[in-house]
Amino acid sequence: MAEKVAPASAAPVSAMPLPPYTSKVKVLDKYHIIGFISSGTYGRVYKARSRHPGTTGDFAIKKFKPDKEGEVINYTGISQSACREMALNSELSHENVIHLHEIILEDKCIYMVFEYAEHDLLQIVHHHSHPERRLIPESTVRSILWQLLNGVSYLHQNWVMHRDLKPANIMVTAAGEVKIGDLGLARVFWKPLAALFNGDKVVVTIWYRAPELLLGSRHYTAAIDLWAVGCIFAELLALRPIFKGEEAKMDSKKTVPFQRNQMQKIIEILGTPTKERWPSITQLPEYPQMASFKQYQSNLETWYHQVGATNQLGYELLSGLLEFDPAKRLTAQQALEHKYFTEGSKLSLNAFEGSLIDYPHRRVSSDDNDIRTSSLPGTKRSGLPDDSLQPRSKRMKAGD
Amino acid sequence: MAANFWTSTQRAHWQLTREKIADMRKSLDEEDTNRGLGITYPLPDHKQLQLYFHHCLQRLARRLQLRQQPLATAETYLKRFYLKVSTRDTNPYLMLSTCVYLACKMEECPVHIRSVVNEARALFQEFIPQDTAKLAECEFHLISELNSYLIVHHPYRTLMEVQVPLKLTTDEIMAVWSFLNDSYITDLILLYPPHTIALTAIFLAVFVRPAVHTQANLNASSTTTSMAATMGGAPGGGIAPPQSTGTQGGVVGAAAAAAVAGAGNAGGMSSARLSQMSDWFAESGVDMDAIIECTQEMISLYDTWETWTDKICREGVARLIRGRQLL
Repeated sequence: MAEKVAPASAAPVSAMPLPPYTSKVKVLDKYHIIGFISSGTYGRVYKARSRHPGTTGDFAIKKFKPDKEGEVINYTGISQSACREMALNSELSHENVIHLHEIILEDKCIYMVFEYAEHDLLQIVHHHSHPERRLIPESTVRSILWQLLNGVSYLHQNWVMHRDLKPANIMVTAAGEVKIGDLGLARVFWKPLAALFNGDKVVVTIWYRAPELLLGSRHYTAAIDLWAVGCIFAELLALRPIFKGEEAKMDSKKTVPFQRNQMQKIIEILGTPTKERWPSITQLPEYPQMASFKQYQSNLETWYHQVGATNQLGYELLSGLLEFDPAKRLTAQQALEHKYFTEGSKLSLNAFEGSLIDYPHRRVSSDDNDIRTSSLPGTKRSGLPDDSLQPRSKRMKAGD
Repeated sequence: MAANFWTSTQRAHWQLTREKIADMRKSLDEEDTNRGLGITYPLPDHKQLQLYFHHCLQRLARRLQLRQQPLATAETYLKRFYLKVSTRDTNPYLMLSTCVYLACKMEECPVHIRSVVNEARALFQEFIPQDTAKLAECEFHLISELNSYLIVHHPYRTLMEVQVPLKLTTDEIMAVWSFLNDSYITDLILLYPPHTIALTAIFLAVFVRPAVHTQANLNASSTTTSMAATMGGAPGGGIAPPQSTGTQGGVVGAAAAAAVAGAGNAGGMSSARLSQMSDWFAESGVDMDAIIECTQEMISLYDTWETWTDKICREGVARLIRGRQLL
C-alpha cells in the first residue's frame, strides 16, 4: 500500500473518501403522508399527496421493508420481487395496469410511488357480502372483468406473466377503472433462461392457482393468469372464493407439498379431469396423485345458478377460463372477444356506471403516518373489518 | 415494454447519439480535471477501460457460471452508469460486481450477494470489501443512476429469430455470437437498436469473415491466428487472455473494411447463397448505413484491442481505489 497520495494542498478532494450513497430526492420533501393503508410481507403502503403544487391527485407509496440485522438496518441487497416490480412497472404503460409515478431510493429503503386507487376487488366483494349478501350488479361485473382481461392481455402481449392475480391485487379507481397491481411476482416469459419452476418454487396464492401448477408443471404458460381471472370472475359472482382450499405448508426440507385439498375443491365443482379432456395431464409430475381422488362430474353450471348468476354467456365464459387444459383455456384476447362482452347492453369502461352503490373509501389510519421510521410488525390492511373496532378518531376516510 | 423494444425505456431513454455520449464523457472528464482528480489519478481512455472492464466482467461471470445474457445486461448497466458518474468517483471492481449481481436478478438467474462478493474477492482481492453491505449500497447507487430502467433488450434475441429463415450454419451462428459478445465492449448498445447490432454481427459473420480467410491466406502469415480471430476464439469469444489477441484485430478490420467497400467476395460462399443473403438484407428494410457505422465501430474496437494490454488499466484503477480509499 505504498501508493502515493496527492498532496492535500494540490488536490484536496482527490484524497477524500467518498460519502455514502444519498438520495437526490427525499420522500418527505416531495410528499405529504396522509396515512397508512396496508402492510404485507414486502413492506407497507401509505397514502400521500404531492407537495408540488402542479402535481394533483393522491398517491400510494409502497415502502419496501429493509432487512434488519438486530436493531441496525443495513443494506442487504434488494429483493428480487422489488427488482421485478421496479423494472416492469417502469416499462409498462396501460390504462388497466397501475401507473408507477416514480421510485425513490433513500435511507436503505425503496419507495415506489404509484397512482392511488380508492378501491380493490377484495374490498368490493366484502362490501357486497357484509353485513348481508347483495349481488354485484352485472354491469359492474362485466366492466371489471373486461378491464381486467384487457390489462392481462396487454401484459401477455408484452410477454409478462403476472403470476399473482387475486382480488387484493386488482385495484379500482374512484372513476371505476380497473388497475392491475403488484407485479412483484411477474416475470418476462420470452425464452426464459431456466425452466420457470427453478426460479420461484411457488407462485400464485393457492385459491387462484391453476391446476397445472398444483400438478407440478415446470413449464407453465401465461394460461395460469387466465385461470386466476376465472377464479376472480367466479368470486365477483359468488362473493366468496370459488375454490377455497386449505394450503398444505412446506415441510422442513422445503419440498413443495402436493396441494391435495385445493385440488379437491376444484374437482368438486369442475369434475375430475380426464386424459380425454386434458391429454397432457399424464406428463405432469404429480399426475399419479390424481388416482387417489374420487370421481366427480362437473357441476359448474349448477354452481353458477346457485350463486345467483343468470347470464348464460357468462357461464360459457367462466367455463372457458376454468378449463383444465391450459392449451384449451381461453387466452386473454379470446376472452375479450367473448359474446358475454359483445352481446347485450353496452359495456362501460367505468365499472360503477349506472350503479347506485356507494363503496366505502379505503381506510387510512392517520396515527401511523411516519413513513420513514415506521417498521411496526405487520398490521393487516386497515380497510378490512378486523380493525373496525378501532376507535373512530384513529381512522379517517380518504378525502377528509 | 418488457418484450417490445419500440416502447421500451431503452429506446426512450438509453438510445443516444455519438455526440451526446462524447459530451457526457467530456463533461465528466472536465469535472475530474477541475477537482484535481484527473491529474492525481490518471486513467487510460474510455476505450481502453471498456476493454479492461469487459475482461473483468467476463472473468467474474465465468466464475459464477453465468450465461451470456446476464453478462450482457451487466455490461450494459456498467456502460450506462459510467456515462453519468465518473469512474474516479467509484470503485470500479465493486461497481462491476454490483452490475453482475443486479443483472442476475433481472435476468431471473439470481446469485446470492455473498457468492458475488466471494467470487469478486477471488479475482480482485482486497479491492472488494468483505462486507456485503458495501455491494448492496452500491446497488442503490447503480439503480438510482439508471433511473430504475433495468430491462435491457439484447441483439441475441434477434439472432435467434432470424437464424432459421436465414439458414445460418452452426459455424456462422457461433461467429455471430462472438461478434455480439464483442459488441458489448463498444458503445453499440447505447447507440443502436438491438436488431441493428444483430444484423451487423450477421453481416460480419457471413460476408466479412469468409473474406478474412481469403485475406489471411493471401497474407500467408499465420492461418491459425486468423482462424482464431474469425472463429471467435480470441476477440470473439473473449475467453482467451488479453495478450493472445495480438494482431487479429487488424486482419478482421482490413477484411471488414474491404467488405464494406464492396470488395469482399465473401470467400467461398456460393453466389446463390450470397445473393439470397443480399436480397434478405435488402428486403428486411434495415438501415444499411447504420450497419456500416456499426461495422466501423467494431473495426475500431479490434484496432484498439490489437495494442491493448490490461497493465495500465489495472495499475490506474488500483492507484485510484487505494488513493481515494474507495473501499
